[in-house]
Amino acid sequence: MQGSPDNNQYRELARRYGIASAPESVSRLTQLVARQDCDVDEIVRVIEKDPGLSARLLRVANPHANHESEYTVDSVDQAIMRNGIGCALLLAMGTPLSLALIKTFQTMVSLKLESVDPHQLDSLNGMHMLCSIGFAGKVTGHVYLRMSSNSARSIAAGILGIEPKEIGGNDEIRDAAGELLNIMTGNFKSNLCDAGLDCKLEPPQVGITEDFTTPTQPGGGLERLAFRADKIEIFVDVSANPWSD
Amino acid sequence: MATKILSVDDSRTIRLIVGKAFRPYDVKLLEAANGEEGLAMAAKEMPDLIILDVTMPVMDGVTMLGKLKEDPLLKGIPVIMLTAESGRENVLQIARLGVRDYLVKPFKEDQLIEKAGRCVTLEKRPVAAAA
Repeated sequence: MQGSPDNNQYRELARRYGIASAPESVSRLTQLVARQDCDVDEIVRVIEKDPGLSARLLRVANPHANHESEYTVDSVDQAIMRNGIGCALLLAMGTPLSLALIKTFQTMVSLKLESVDPHQLDSLNGMHMLCSIGFAGKVTGHVYLRMSSNSARSIAAGILGIEPKEIGGNDEIRDAAGELLNIMTGNFKSNLCDAGLDCKLEPPQVGITEDFTTPTQPGGGLERLAFRADKIEIFVDVSANPWSD
Repeated sequence: MATKILSVDDSRTIRLIVGKAFRPYDVKLLEAANGEEGLAMAAKEMPDLIILDVTMPVMDGVTMLGKLKEDPLLKGIPVIMLTAESGRENVLQIARLGVRDYLVKPFKEDQLIEKAGRCVTLEKRPVAAAA
């Protein structure tokens, strides 16, 4: 597989077109999770080698804890045994999604987002923007992007290179937010497909919500990511269920 | 005569960014929101360059590219893919159909100008006209 003509041709095209590949540890984890006969011990070893992945897994495995001292699941193998491979899949997806989000906002909006622990941010209260995109295939799930209406306006203005007051109407804000989500998820979907988890993206949905609860699927996992830059705060929720087809 | 560039993307935001990128140049920008509209616009206007998204409703960019390449009148128009899809299968399929270049979203306007400038002549507009 590694040296197949297609892989060699893809590497040459990726070099010519300037296409960046996913981090090695992420590709490795995605490939391991993609195998239906996956070796749980090997997955645990890959995660344990990466302190960032281990910390995120424990956060996912202890959804009600506000601090590490409150963790009831405190080891990687325990987290995988209790929560299943869906958790490892979330880690594999969350990393490229975070990288894609940070790169998308930096490139298109000139906004340097910092990844933060979601507990550090106040929840979005009242009406706020909700963008969602579904993916279906060998892995199914959703990515939800939420931000305040003011943040959405600032971001739309940033991407279009104009002042927030110059934004004509909500359609421009919705289209910009939907496209940002599209770009982020397009990047990480490519990573999933390359690892053997073929899936297709559904068109993004953009709307306003007041009370958001992330729907979970049986056998699946859920991870919340949060990002901040100046007054802009962004929440991303990822739900995923492997081998759902 | 202005260089004709056709932007095919279902996102109005992307079409606006593409338009902004080419504003300093003597370019007539044409727009289409899906592959079907893009094919009709290409046949009518015979653009010098097509900038094409992949995932779109009605007709996606890969289908549009395939139809362009089957048409003796349109197959010579250079195409730059502008898409968030960078997976191996997509890139290989698109390369086999024949594209001049590939730009992965997110992108900077100067990256688009650089790639477009390798396909067509981009001449600066007089400053007053570009403003």
